[in-house]
Amino acid sequence: MSNTTQTDPNAEAANGNEQTTVVGETNEELKAEWVDYRFDGEPKFTVEDLNVWYGDDHALHDISMDIPEKSVTALIGPSGCGKSTFLRCLNRMNDRIKVARVDGSVRLDGREIYQDGVDLVELRKRVGQVFQSPNPFPKSIRRNISYGPRKHGDVNTGLLARLTGRDDSEKEEKLVERSLKQAALWDEVKGRLDDNAIGLSGGQQQRLCIARALATDPEVILMDEPASALDPVATSKIEDLIVELSEDYTVVVVTHNMQQAARISDQTAVFLTGGYLVEYDDTDKIFENPESQRVEDYITGKFG
Amino acid sequence: MSTGNRFDALGEIDRETQLVGATSGLALLAVLVAFLVAAQYAVYPLVAFVAVVAYGWYAHQENTAAVLMFFTTASTIVVLGLITVYLFVKSIPAFETMGLDILLKTNQPLWERASNTYSLAPMIWGTLLTTAIAMAIAAPLGVAGALFISEIAPRWAREIIKPAVEMLAGIPSIVYGFLGWVVVTEYFYRELQLSNFSSLMVAGIMIGVMALPTVVSVAEDAIASVPGAMKDGSLALGASDWQTIKSVTFPAAFSGISAAVILGVGRAVGETMAATVILGHQQAFPDPLYDVWEGTETLTSLIASQYGIATGTQLSALFAAGVVLFVTVLALSIGSQFVEARMRRRLGGEQ
Amino acid sequence: MSLDTRTADTLVDDDSSALGYVAGAATVVSLLLAVAGVLTLFGVVGLTSTVAGFSVFELFGVGFAAVGVTLLGVGVASRAGVVETKPDVTAGALPMVVFGLVGLVVAGLVSSQTLGFSTLWPLFALLGGVGVAAATVLPPEDVGVTLPAGGLALLAGATFLAGLITPSWTWEPVAGSATYTGTFAVPILALFVGILVAWVGAEAYGGFGTRGRQLGAYLLVGANAVGMLSLLVVLVAYVVSRGFAPMTRGIQFGLFWEPLTWFYFPPIEEYVVINGPLVWFYWPFVMEGVALMNDVNGIFPAIVGTVWVVAGAVTFAIPLGVGAAVFLTEYAERGRFTQLVEISTNGLWSTPSIVYGLFGLAFLVPRLGNTTSLLSGMLVLGIMMLPLVVITSREALKSVPDDYRDASAALGVGKWETIKSVVLPAAMPGVITGVILGIGRIAGETAPILLVMVSDPFPSRATDVLAPEFSFISNFPFVHAQLLDTSALLQPTSALPYQLYAIITAGVGQRESFAWGTALVLLLVVLSFYAVGIGSRMYFRRKLDQ
Repeated sequence: MSNTTQTDPNAEAANGNEQTTVVGETNEELKAEWVDYRFDGEPKFTVEDLNVWYGDDHALHDISMDIPEKSVTALIGPSGCGKSTFLRCLNRMNDRIKVARVDGSVRLDGREIYQDGVDLVELRKRVGQVFQSPNPFPKSIRRNISYGPRKHGDVNTGLLARLTGRDDSEKEEKLVERSLKQAALWDEVKGRLDDNAIGLSGGQQQRLCIARALATDPEVILMDEPASALDPVATSKIEDLIVELSEDYTVVVVTHNMQQAARISDQTAVFLTGGYLVEYDDTDKIFENPESQRVEDYITGKFG
Repeated sequence: MSTGNRFDALGEIDRETQLVGATSGLALLAVLVAFLVAAQYAVYPLVAFVAVVAYGWYAHQENTAAVLMFFTTASTIVVLGLITVYLFVKSIPAFETMGLDILLKTNQPLWERASNTYSLAPMIWGTLLTTAIAMAIAAPLGVAGALFISEIAPRWAREIIKPAVEMLAGIPSIVYGFLGWVVVTEYFYRELQLSNFSSLMVAGIMIGVMALPTVVSVAEDAIASVPGAMKDGSLALGASDWQTIKSVTFPAAFSGISAAVILGVGRAVGETMAATVILGHQQAFPDPLYDVWEGTETLTSLIASQYGIATGTQLSALFAAGVVLFVTVLALSIGSQFVEARMRRRLGGEQ
Repeated sequence: MSLDTRTADTLVDDDSSALGYVAGAATVVSLLLAVAGVLTLFGVVGLTSTVAGFSVFELFGVGFAAVGVTLLGVGVASRAGVVETKPDVTAGALPMVVFGLVGLVVAGLVSSQTLGFSTLWPLFALLGGVGVAAATVLPPEDVGVTLPAGGLALLAGATFLAGLITPSWTWEPVAGSATYTGTFAVPILALFVGILVAWVGAEAYGGFGTRGRQLGAYLLVGANAVGMLSLLVVLVAYVVSRGFAPMTRGIQFGLFWEPLTWFYFPPIEEYVVINGPLVWFYWPFVMEGVALMNDVNGIFPAIVGTVWVVAGAVTFAIPLGVGAAVFLTEYAERGRFTQLVEISTNGLWSTPSIVYGLFGLAFLVPRLGNTTSLLSGMLVLGIMMLPLVVITSREALKSVPDDYRDASAALGVGKWETIKSVVLPAAMPGVITGVILGIGRIAGETAPILLVMVSDPFPSRATDVLAPEFSFISNFPFVHAQLLDTSALLQPTSALPYQLYAIITAGVGQRESFAWGTALVLLLVVLSFYAVGIGSRMYFRRKLDQ
């Protein structure tokens, strides 16, 4: 059972039977077995039969899952299992990759996001994202935070705005303060909001990116291994932050750190190599008593 | 410094290789000296050099190769140094005769053999005008073209337009000059009822078209070097593609884009044939100064049109024009490299 | 407010609105008018020629008036909430500057020229500029952009229709030596106004706001790209159209069944003759020089000169340049020295070619026979090429992964052996591409060879450098062998770009078709080097991607 991690996704998809012989589970059987997760309340996202190809590489196979609102959903799995690909489908950032092809349905609040005429700007306003490595803009901290609202026309400052009497400097100050406080960064940077954000430490940069995403007032925040590039202290700050955020926002977090998933998430989806969603349930259930033998092996560290 | 490097690079070498290195080095030096003093004798040390290197190659290839590589570097540097030295040395008589007036004299006579007066001021003014016209065309269109290629164009359009821009750069300047002379000059002469056939305007337009590909290629490199993660960050916040270009990509690449424009200015300043063919070669200021429909003279066209008839101080004044060009373009080039390095540092700092 | 009515579905945009059709039509018409402006500017279409019963000039008037009214209507409809748009609160800085400048120029011209205020006009110009800028930036975006753009189009249309500017109109500014005529001004105005209005039309098509601005910007940037592409096509096509006939004049060819060889065959005591097809081809323009007796004068000497000078320059530049690149990348420690070399090579690469010519004139010519010569030309062009070879070779060498070097070194292979058998082969595609592009550049270079290589503008014979000879002689060293005729290297030679220059300076008049033919051959030679260089680079990149 320890031989499945390093194989090529295509090869495994083709040889699924041979590689998962222990309990007689094939990937084909596994894919829809334990994913029928029930929860109270409305789903924020409804994903049905989602398939993604990168060129000839079939990166995600028939993913169907509902993501509940105002909670933390963790996506875990070994490298190359498609969890980041799945995340990028939720705000259509995969459109940026020329060879990517997406098939299936993703609905946000019941509205299909994969159809003609969807306004990607509007979608990404509602579904924010924080990336694996911090990517602040080479601008001041203040400008980084107010970037989204500026682009959406909610904040105007500068000479032109002052001349035409639409100066939003105060609004900007409040927004910056609120967002930085939400991201637990305010105390560290409040005296130097005009400094270039590139000068911040890695952990601070990542919290700045979270604050930046919050400032656009999204409904969903997608996080792609937000703490993987950070030291333990910064990581724990980010984790606390994620738990807090789930009171007001729907958070979807990709991580390959299982302890982290267990600490912060309400429900967990396990992807395994080849791009299959194998099991999706309450986090406690997944970590204490998973249905799938392969998920148990993965979680107990037998592979992956 | 260079010799230090050479031995650093070679490390420990045995006695015989040292001998090969030293002899061949001496022989090469002798070639240079002979060429400088009495060119016809340069061939003998050259033969000696070839013989020594051939032996070394046969006996100690590893080290001889290193020595040979060092010599190529050294000769490259020597050649480039010679250019600088000769240009400056030959221009000294003109500077001695004219003093600073060679750059600043603006009253008649400006360029006259009888009174041995040679002022480059009208040519500098002509170069300024043509360069300004050229850059008014090349800078905005070039930067827009670079944005299109690296950020906006779909893949198929990029595959067409990128080679096309490079081909545009490949069209020889004399062909541009010919087209400018036969077609464009003729057009303006007819349409605008000009009193003289040649004009700075046409030269500027043609030079602008020539500088365009330089601006596009260099600016495109700069824009493409902005990390994708930064653009993703902007898009994920709900900014549109154009907003991302305008507020993230363009500012981040700004240094590189200005380097592209600076290099374009360098190209425009140094462009020779189009100006030579199109202009009327009057070593005077246009009247009024901004009348771009007159065909006066630029620094480059001055050299190309007068080298054959010039002797003595006049020839030296042409070298002075060369020095002005050389220094200007070198300064622009170093400036653009400095600006580019700064951009690389700034973008690199975020990792 | 239109914003309040828009609640249904914010995710999905509806493109098929009435606004879309109207604004789209206005955009397309404006673009067509701009293109028509270019065509009339270059005389492809006459301004007074008729299309569908109207003269082109009248169509400009009607077209701009219609587009202007349409845009104004779109702005009003958007403000009144008749059509669904998402305008920003203000049009922003760029439209303000653009339309402010337009206002400045229009007000200045009208007050000084039409109304005749000889001293007060700067004041009016300033008022006009500030007024239009304020009208652009103060109202919400939909009105702010359509008002000045629609107004400008309407003004242009009205000016044409009212006959204020007609094809026969002339204006001679007091200062400057040009007289602006209607046949020049109308197309320029049409081009300029057409593009500005198309920009705003595209913004309106996108419903203003973020999407509208993106469409507007993409329209401008895309039009610029199309313009550049057309420029290349038009330039090349024009040279081909003018040069093809003179270049191919007098070509004769044929296929003949003729004796290829014959020999005496003893058994039949006869000569055996073997016949075969012989292709005979005569292309005077590229096979002849200029001579009195020629039916068709040609540029053979110039072609041969170009081939020799390029060959010489390459022989000089490649070993030196690649060697220096290898030393700098593989042997020298990265530091101040390499940095200095890098800065100076970059600087020399952008040094004007005429400066290289001056250097050759001062340094090489006196030492190489005291006359312009092929050898001087080779050396000067070689020196010109040197920085490029160093730069591209260094790029190529740097892009070879260190793993290769480490792997080879770990097997106990020496440094030079590693470079020779691993690094250089891996870097070869990059080096070759750089060299090919460099050849394209120097093959078309005129200024330096003008100073150091040429003398006869219309040579009849080509330089004959390749002259293999072998004979026994009576004195030491008793054999005389030569491959190259070195004295030919010290003779002046023509070259293609110089040939073109020589025709221009000799007065194009009678030789114009000769010049176009030369220009075409030069263009073909240089562009084929570029095509091969660019093609090989794309090929190697694609191979690398796989």
